[in-house]
Amino acid sequence: MRLARPLRPLAALLAVAWATGPLAAKTWTVGPAAPNGKLAAAVASAAPKDTIRVLQGTYAEGTVRINKPLTILGTGMPLIDGRGEGDVLEITASDVTIRGLRITGTKISNINDNAGIKVIAADRVQLTGNQLLRCFFAIHLSKARNPLIEGNTITGDPALPESQRANGVHLWQCTGASIINNTITDHRDGIYFEFVTDSHINGNTSLRNNRYGLHFMFSNRDSYAHNLFQHNGAGVAVMYSKEVDMRHNSFISNRGASAYGILFKEINDVTIDSNRFTDNTTAMLVDGCNRMEAKGNEFRSNGWAVRLFSNATACNFSANTFAGNTFDLATNGNPVYNTFNGNYWDRYQGYDLDRNGTGDVPFRPLSLFAMVNERMPYAVVLSRSLLTSLMDQAERLIPSMTPEGLADDKPLMRPPHGKSHL
Amino acid sequence: MWKVYKYTLIDLARNKFVGGWLLLLLAITAGLFQLEDQPVKAMLSLSQVLLALVPLVSCIFAIVYLYDALEFTELLAVQPLHRSKILGGQLLALSTALALGALLGAGLPLLIFFPGGASLTLALACFMLTLVFTAIGALIAIKNREKARGVGLGLVIWFLFVLVYDAVLLWIMFAFSDYPIEPWIVPLAALDPIDLGRIMVLLKVDLAAMMGYSGAIYEKFFGNLRGILVAMAALAAWVAVPSAVAFKAFRKKDF
Repeated sequence: MRLARPLRPLAALLAVAWATGPLAAKTWTVGPAAPNGKLAAAVASAAPKDTIRVLQGTYAEGTVRINKPLTILGTGMPLIDGRGEGDVLEITASDVTIRGLRITGTKISNINDNAGIKVIAADRVQLTGNQLLRCFFAIHLSKARNPLIEGNTITGDPALPESQRANGVHLWQCTGASIINNTITDHRDGIYFEFVTDSHINGNTSLRNNRYGLHFMFSNRDSYAHNLFQHNGAGVAVMYSKEVDMRHNSFISNRGASAYGILFKEINDVTIDSNRFTDNTTAMLVDGCNRMEAKGNEFRSNGWAVRLFSNATACNFSANTFAGNTFDLATNGNPVYNTFNGNYWDRYQGYDLDRNGTGDVPFRPLSLFAMVNERMPYAVVLSRSLLTSLMDQAERLIPSMTPEGLADDKPLMRPPHGKSHL
Repeated sequence: MWKVYKYTLIDLARNKFVGGWLLLLLAITAGLFQLEDQPVKAMLSLSQVLLALVPLVSCIFAIVYLYDALEFTELLAVQPLHRSKILGGQLLALSTALALGALLGAGLPLLIFFPGGASLTLALACFMLTLVFTAIGALIAIKNREKARGVGLGLVIWFLFVLVYDAVLLWIMFAFSDYPIEPWIVPLAALDPIDLGRIMVLLKVDLAAMMGYSGAIYEKFFGNLRGILVAMAALAAWVAVPSAVAFKAFRKKDF
């Protein structure tokens, strides 16, 4: 780190004081053979800013409360077992770092919301490189500012029913959180946010959670990038939030009657850019959203690529790729206050005489059969039959039932990113 | 019976039509896969074409062939031969030739261009539909003395199954949409062999949509092996019933 010139002597002085004076942080070692064997005892005797090194072994001590700024480092992934008494690590102080621990043994309780690592009203907590095994909540933060949760592996118990599961990473009333490169499997919700603002969620993998891979509500000004959400029971739900930015995420194989690649409910000012939606029952559901920019996304092999409810306004779809979906667009009414412009549709049958890359006749993404199917979902049994093809062709030539204004006037002749850009 | 089968098959092999049918299917299949850069899309277009074309060609060709072979059939009928063996041999030979045409012309290239369960299902559906519509064609040819009438009837039957039935089904869905008719849709659709074939393919290709809403019911019904077996049994019934009626009519037929 480079310091400004006037600060350098001061920094040097501080460094000397740090190394020699009574202020020097102490390092404690906790191990099966060490005299101070118990983790809880080490925490009790350590002074603020000390480091506790936890050697390989098993520490079944029930709940360990950390109420001063400590750094706890595991060597060889020691196992911290809460013995099913409640939380395992309970952090109530700022500037705590927990690294390289294996944590298990929470009590299942919906009253206390027990967690592998619970953080209550503490700032700048860093939880990195830990493994959380079969916890109820794995990482649970409330009223925490600027936490870092990075590189943790969070594994639930796939055999448990939903009533006995809780969320992998759970944040409530937090701000400035960074959630980076974690892997969360077999919990209820992979990542859950409520009242979380100005946070970044990057590079996480959320698999096989039996509710949502990512679930957030009332969480404004957050960004989500390069995450993978796959095989979650209900996909991803985004509700009642503003200024959300989602880029380069993958939403794959979220299947079921009420599963969505992503579900937007009452969202304002969203950017959803360069994401990939593959093999979902419904890739994107847009319910009551305002000012959404969806561009450069890839919708492939989904049942419904976009279900756009007519209460959505100013949602603009451009430069997206729609290919191999059973239905490209479905709606419950007349969503005319939204636009589709310059997308690639594999169903487009128009021509490009002036060779400018966009088709010369508009494409109507809403097929008549999609409208029929919206009223009678069981009509899906007739899809890809000669009858429905003829119906759709007739409707495309002479639109009478589908909304007149809902058309892509400049459909692309080729996918914007070639065959696959991700 | 096997002698009749053998001679009919030799006659069919000399007939240019069966070879032409094979080449046509080959051209369509190869052409679609060459034109489309996405094999799934080609496979889907192909399934639409095949599920309409295979029944039409099987039905009409069976009718036309049986009329053209009428003199030979009469000649056989005066021999001390059981009548069901005459028809059995002819029907089996027709089915063999047309099914070979469909499997070699469409099934094999499908499996080469787009290997997987979807192609296998489509090939299977084409095979079964060939048998079904050959049997229906034979029934029409035996029941009607006039060739033009028979061919016309064949076209009507094909049109009924490929389009009109679906329209009626859609109308039923609309008309009874206030009632819990969902459980009835699958059995009703199963009454149409072409729909059965289409749903089998659909469940392999559009699985994502099939998991949603009431699609889950279809998925539950047809999605597993038991469902495929049920569908195959329904198609087998579609072969057996027209064949049985045809045999009965043929036994009593006054040439």
